[in-house]
Amino acid sequence: MGEGGARGSRETPLVAASGLNRTYRLGAASVPAVRDVTVAIRPGEFVALQGPSGSGKTTLLNLLGLLDSPDAGTVVIEGRDGASLSEDERSDLRRDRFGFVFQTFNLIPVLSAEENVSYPMVIAGAPKLEHRSRARALLAAVGLGEKLGVRPDLLSGGQRQRVAIARALANRPAIVFADEPTANLDSQTAEEILDLMRKINEEKSVAFLFATHDPRVVARARRVIRLHDGRIEKDGAA
Amino acid sequence: MGTVVAFGFAAFALAGGFIAQSFEGLKEGTIQTVGQLQVVDRRSVTRTEEKTLEFGLRDASRARAIASQEPAVSSVLPRIDFVGLATSGAKSVPYLGIGVDPEPEARATGARALVVAGSYLSGDGGDGVVLGTGLASALDVKPGDAITLMATTPDGSLNAVDAVVRGLADVRIKELNDRYLACGIALASRLLQSPETVSKLVVFLKKGADEEETARRLGRELNAAGYPVAIRHWRELAVFYGQVKLLYIGIFGFVGAVLVVIVILSAAIVMTMAVTERTREVGTLRALGTRPSGILKMFLAEGVALALAGCAAGMILALLVRVALNASGIVLPPPPGATHGMPIHVQLYPFAYAAGLLTMIATMLIASYLPSRKASRMPIVEALAHI
Repeated sequence: MGEGGARGSRETPLVAASGLNRTYRLGAASVPAVRDVTVAIRPGEFVALQGPSGSGKTTLLNLLGLLDSPDAGTVVIEGRDGASLSEDERSDLRRDRFGFVFQTFNLIPVLSAEENVSYPMVIAGAPKLEHRSRARALLAAVGLGEKLGVRPDLLSGGQRQRVAIARALANRPAIVFADEPTANLDSQTAEEILDLMRKINEEKSVAFLFATHDPRVVARARRVIRLHDGRIEKDGAA
Repeated sequence: MGTVVAFGFAAFALAGGFIAQSFEGLKEGTIQTVGQLQVVDRRSVTRTEEKTLEFGLRDASRARAIASQEPAVSSVLPRIDFVGLATSGAKSVPYLGIGVDPEPEARATGARALVVAGSYLSGDGGDGVVLGTGLASALDVKPGDAITLMATTPDGSLNAVDAVVRGLADVRIKELNDRYLACGIALASRLLQSPETVSKLVVFLKKGADEEETARRLGRELNAAGYPVAIRHWRELAVFYGQVKLLYIGIFGFVGAVLVVIVILSAAIVMTMAVTERTREVGTLRALGTRPSGILKMFLAEGVALALAGCAAGMILALLVRVALNASGIVLPPPPGATHGMPIHVQLYPFAYAAGLLTMIATMLIASYLPSRKASRMPIVEALAHI
């Protein structure tokens, strides 16, 4: 199954999954969401996880991002087997090496834009001066330098997603997992967000893995993994 | 949520202030009656008198003078306790008599204030008596009327003296009002034919005096002077005080426990709802790398913050209600056996405020713990998908 991408195929994978299976139980019924998936994401890749609704994109993203655990198979993060990690170690790994962008932005409503971006650095123990200046720099980089003290409910959808992207980059992650990052945005804003992520990918060598069925996202990806009924149907250069 | 804490705290602070005031009043009232210390014959500590003044203190004036020299003592009141029959000619009624040194007695105990008709005893009391209103009513006498007192002397013979009713007193306890009779030491001594002998010396101390230390010194000095005495503390003598205090502690302790349970249940419900409402937020925080213990600490800290904010509001509420209650002039119904109600007064009692604060913090921690633990252990994917 899906091996390699268009770029960096000789490098050690950031995230390598092998023989992944995940089945959900709905009452008496079992619904297999991911079936026998083997895949690797390498540093600096810009990968789209494509497929129709229910094909297992979000489930695979959650498994690779250590938000969920597989029923069978392994997820290895920079050489460390996810199954051997304690809950605290998984938390620390997500905090230090991963960034997450959600379809519904998932900003903390009572915190300002700056505080939302600072949060991952605060829990990582960064000194106040450091996390404040970095949060401001990140918000300036995503075009929200003027919205530092504004709470999420006063920001537009596009602005919220920019804050979420800035937050995902707070602890200088190796990879950002983005689940349908443009699904709740209008066309123009979606284009801007995609350009921003592509720019970050190119300038900072941060890998991106998107779960999407937005053709614009797919068009910008260098590598596309197509899922169907929980299995990888195609994996290769876009 | 803060409202529940605020009302809970205010209830604690006000109830504490009311109880403290009640105990203080009860203590003062008790000390006014029995003094802070009593000098008695050693035998009376373990045995009951079969005859009046059987265990009396002889050569009482010298003993009184020795006790009065103690620097911490403000006054020493001799008392003779006796029982007998009072007769107005038409009727005879049993009485509980107390022989006192009228002027110092009135100064130390406020006995004069209890007089509702006529006047209190003056000088050495002469042949005057003050009767409880109930006793006077039973004898059908009023100030100025003559009565005859009969009693058994220590050697067992019967004696009688004539007396004049000087005043009527309302001693605030109905049963005592029906039997109360006070007269001068001289008249009591004449009736009992026991000059220079008293039942006890009641000792009042100066403000701030060390009761224990003074009791030890008094005992030493009187024993050295040849008096076989024991010194008794007011708490030993005030059985009623101890019982009422225990009753109050029991009642208010139970009400306090009910209050805590109500606050815990209300807070637990509100915290559970708050945690449920924030399930997605918990999922997000966990995804971003917050450890489960971090989520637990976050909700517990919020519980404590709510407790502190609620207590601050409760403190203002308690202070305002206290002022209103103290100015209201509300009189509580008289307790069983008493004839007068007690005006409500709530003390500013810092211990109750501190106890209220600690209780509310503990309550909020307990109420927050289970919902917080549930939130911290929730699968991240489930939490993120929560609507």
